[in-house]
Amino acid sequence: MLDNLGASLKDAVKKLAGKTVIDRVAVDELVRDLQRALLSADVNVKLVMQLSQAIKQRALEEEPPKGMGVREHVLRIVYQELVRMMGTPGEVTLGPQTILMAGLQGSGKTTTTAKLARYFQRKGLRVGVICADTFRPGAYDQLKTLCDRIGVACFGDPNESDALRIVREGLPRFRKQYEVIIIDTQGRHALEENLIEEIVSINEISRADHRWLVIDAALGQQASEQARRFHAAIGIDGVLVTKMDGTAKGGGALSAVAETQSGIVFIGSGETIEDLERFDPDGFISRLLGMGDLRALVERAEEAVSAEDLDVNAMLKGRFTLRDMYKQLEALNKMGPLKQIMSMLPLGSMQIPDDAYDITSTKMQRYKVIMDSMTPPELDDPSVIGSSRIQRIARGAGVAPDDVRDLIKYYKIMQRALKGMRGMGSGKFNMQRMMKKFGRTQ
Amino acid sequence: MFDSLKKKLQTIRDKFTSNIEEAAGTEPVPPVVEVPEVAEPAPSRVLLPEPPVSEEVLEKEREEPTFFNKIKVLVREREVLLQEKDIEEPLSELEMVLLENDVALPVTDEIIARMRRDLVGRHRKIGSSVDGLVVTTLRSALCGVLGEGLDLREYIAGHERPVKILFTGVNGTGKTTTVAKVGHYLQKNGFSVVIGAGDTFRAGAIEQIRTHADRLGIKVIQHQAGADPSAVLFDAVQYAKAHEIDVVLADTAGRFHNRANLMNQLEKIRRVMKPDLVVYVDEAVAGNDAVIRADEFNKAVGTDAVVLTKADMDPRGGAAISVAHTVGKPILFLGIGQGYDDIMPFEPRAMVNELLGDEA
Repeated sequence: MLDNLGASLKDAVKKLAGKTVIDRVAVDELVRDLQRALLSADVNVKLVMQLSQAIKQRALEEEPPKGMGVREHVLRIVYQELVRMMGTPGEVTLGPQTILMAGLQGSGKTTTTAKLARYFQRKGLRVGVICADTFRPGAYDQLKTLCDRIGVACFGDPNESDALRIVREGLPRFRKQYEVIIIDTQGRHALEENLIEEIVSINEISRADHRWLVIDAALGQQASEQARRFHAAIGIDGVLVTKMDGTAKGGGALSAVAETQSGIVFIGSGETIEDLERFDPDGFISRLLGMGDLRALVERAEEAVSAEDLDVNAMLKGRFTLRDMYKQLEALNKMGPLKQIMSMLPLGSMQIPDDAYDITSTKMQRYKVIMDSMTPPELDDPSVIGSSRIQRIARGAGVAPDDVRDLIKYYKIMQRALKGMRGMGSGKFNMQRMMKKFGRTQ
Repeated sequence: MFDSLKKKLQTIRDKFTSNIEEAAGTEPVPPVVEVPEVAEPAPSRVLLPEPPVSEEVLEKEREEPTFFNKIKVLVREREVLLQEKDIEEPLSELEMVLLENDVALPVTDEIIARMRRDLVGRHRKIGSSVDGLVVTTLRSALCGVLGEGLDLREYIAGHERPVKILFTGVNGTGKTTTVAKVGHYLQKNGFSVVIGAGDTFRAGAIEQIRTHADRLGIKVIQHQAGADPSAVLFDAVQYAKAHEIDVVLADTAGRFHNRANLMNQLEKIRRVMKPDLVVYVDEAVAGNDAVIRADEFNKAVGTDAVVLTKADMDPRGGAAISVAHTVGKPILFLGIGQGYDDIMPFEPRAMVNELLGDEA
C-alpha cells in the first residue's frame, strides 16, 4: 500500500515535469498525495496540514530561480520544508556526560541503552550503565546480560524497589570510574503522574546532561501528546527512534521532535547490539515518502566495497563472471539485509515480491559455499559447467545438484539484469523485470 | 480510552446534522413524502429506524390528493436530496478526526467511503430524523469494522482441555505482561494455568515471566536462554496434559513481520504445539504500521483474536479500529495498566454505543 503512495507521489511530481508555469492543479495534487504519504507514515495530522499549507503557498508564490525547472523548484520546496519539519539532527558529544533515557513501555529503552553503551565504547570512552527500572521483572537481568556481552559495567539491584536510591548510590560511584553514564529507566506514559514525578526526581538527582526520549517507530498520533508531556516534565533534548527495521515509517518521531524542539539523535534498526545509526535526515525523508534515497546507498556502498572489490565498469560492459557475483554477494552481506538496501534505491513505485528478499542470509551463504567448490576456470567462464561438473560441485559443496543449477540460473539472471542496467541512462531501467525474475527463482 | 474520539465524533455528528438540515432548506419544510416513482436504495446492513407509520400515512393522506402537491414534493425532494458536496466538508472533517485518532489511512478511507455511499441518496425519505440517520450510518460503519467480541471463558469452557493459547506480536508490544495478566484473569475465573516461557531470545525475558508467574502462583515451563522455543512450548503442553491443567499460555519472543526466518520459527512453533487460539498482541498507540504488521502476522501464522495493550496510554484508540478491521478477528482484551488486574474484556457493541453516546 505504501509503495502505491510513493508511486502516486511520483506521478504527481512527474506531472510537474516539463512545465514552464506552475500549474495550480498539479500542485494541489502533489500536496494531496504528500499529505496522504505523510499521514500514513504517522506524522501528526496538524503538522501535515501546516506543512502542506506552507508548501502550497511557496510553490505558487515563489518564482523559480532562473535555470531551474518547475519540477525541481517544487521538489526543492518540498524537500526544504520537510527538512525544516525534521529539525537538525541532535548533537552527540564524545566526552564525559550523563544520559537519562525516558520513554513509553516497550519502546525499547533497555535495548537502546545497551546499544548506546556500545556506541560510546567503540568511540573509546569508558561507559557505565545504571538500571533504574525497578518495576519490570527481569529488567535488570536483561540490561546486565546485554552489558556483560560487551563488557560494560552495569549498576543495579533487582531487589531494590526505589529507583531514586539506585541512582543516588550508583551515580557517584560510576562518576569516578566512567566518562559516559547512561541511566535506563522504567517505561512510563505521560498520564501516570507518580511515574512522571519519579523521572523528574531522577533527573534532578542525576543532573543529567542529556535527556533522551525513546520513540517506537510505530507510535502513532499519540507521539505528540506524550512527547509534549515528557518535555514539560524533564526537558527532552534528543529523540531516539527505535524499531526502524520493521515496516513502520517513524512519523511519530517527527511529531516528538516538533513538540520538544529537539532533534533525532540515533536510529535503532535491528536486534543486535551494533544496530544503532546516527540520524540522517535525507534517508528519513525518503522513507517517509516511500521514495528512494540514492545518496545513502552510495555512501553505504562506498564504505562496504573498496574499488578493487567490485569492478563496476567491467560488469557493466557485460563481463560479469561468477567471481564478480561472489564479490557482489560478499559486498551485499556487508551492506546489510537486501531489503534495507532496496528501500534506499529509488524504486518506490515497484512492487518487489517479498520472497525476493529472503535470499539474503541462507541462500547467499549457500551460493558462496557452492562457488567455493568451483575451479578457477569455472568461475571465470560459467558456460563450461556441464552436468558432470555440476555433480562434482554439488558433491564438493555438500548440496543437491539442483542448488547448483539454481545458482547458475541466478547468475544468468544477474548477468541479464546488468546488461539491462546499461540502458539505464536512456531511461530503460530494467530493475523491475530483474526483480520479478529474481523472485521467481526462489 | 476513546474519550477524545468520542468527543470529536459528537461534534462531527452535529456538523453532519446541521449540514444536512441546511441542504434540506430553511423554509418550514412540509413533511416529506415518499414518491413511489423513485426507487429507494436498499439500506445496507443496519436497518434504519422507520418513521412511525401512522404519521406517514396521515401525511400522505394530507398531501397526496392534488397533482400539484405531488410535483411540489418532487421538486422539494430534489432540494432535499443530499448532494455529495453537502456532506463533503463534514466528511473530510470526519476523516481528519479518524486519522488524528490513529485509525489507519486505508481503514479511514473505507469508513468514509461507506459513510458517503450510505448517506448520498438515502436521506431523502428521512428529512426530519437526520440525526438518527447519521448515527446509524456511523454506527453501522464502526460496527462493521469492529466485528464481534469473544468471551475467553466461554471459549475455554466449550473446548477440550488443555486449551492452548499462543501469543504473537512484534517487539515491545507487551506480550509477556499480557500473558501474566491473562493468566491471572483465568485463575480468577477458576481455570488452572501453565505458562510456557517461549521467549528464549530477549535477555531477561525468562526472568521476567518467571517473576510474574511466581507472584501469581502459576507454574512456568522454561528452558535455558537460546533454547528452541518450539521445544519449550511442546513441553508446556505435555505438562498440562499430564497434570490436567485447563489452559496453556505460550509466550513468544517479539519479532518483526519482515524477518522471514523469525516468522518461520513462529510457524514451526504453531506446527509443534498446535494452539487452539493464536492471539496477536499489539499496542493501542501504534499508528499506521499496526495495519501492515497485523496483516503480515495473520498471513504467516494466522490470528484468531487480538489483544490491544497500553490502552491506558491513549485516550484515542484508533488502532483498535484499524487492527480489528485488518485482521477481521475479534478483540479479546484491552490492557489498561501495569497491575495484573488491568485487563478488560472487549465488547465492541458497548464501545460503539459509548462512542456515539446513545442507543439506537
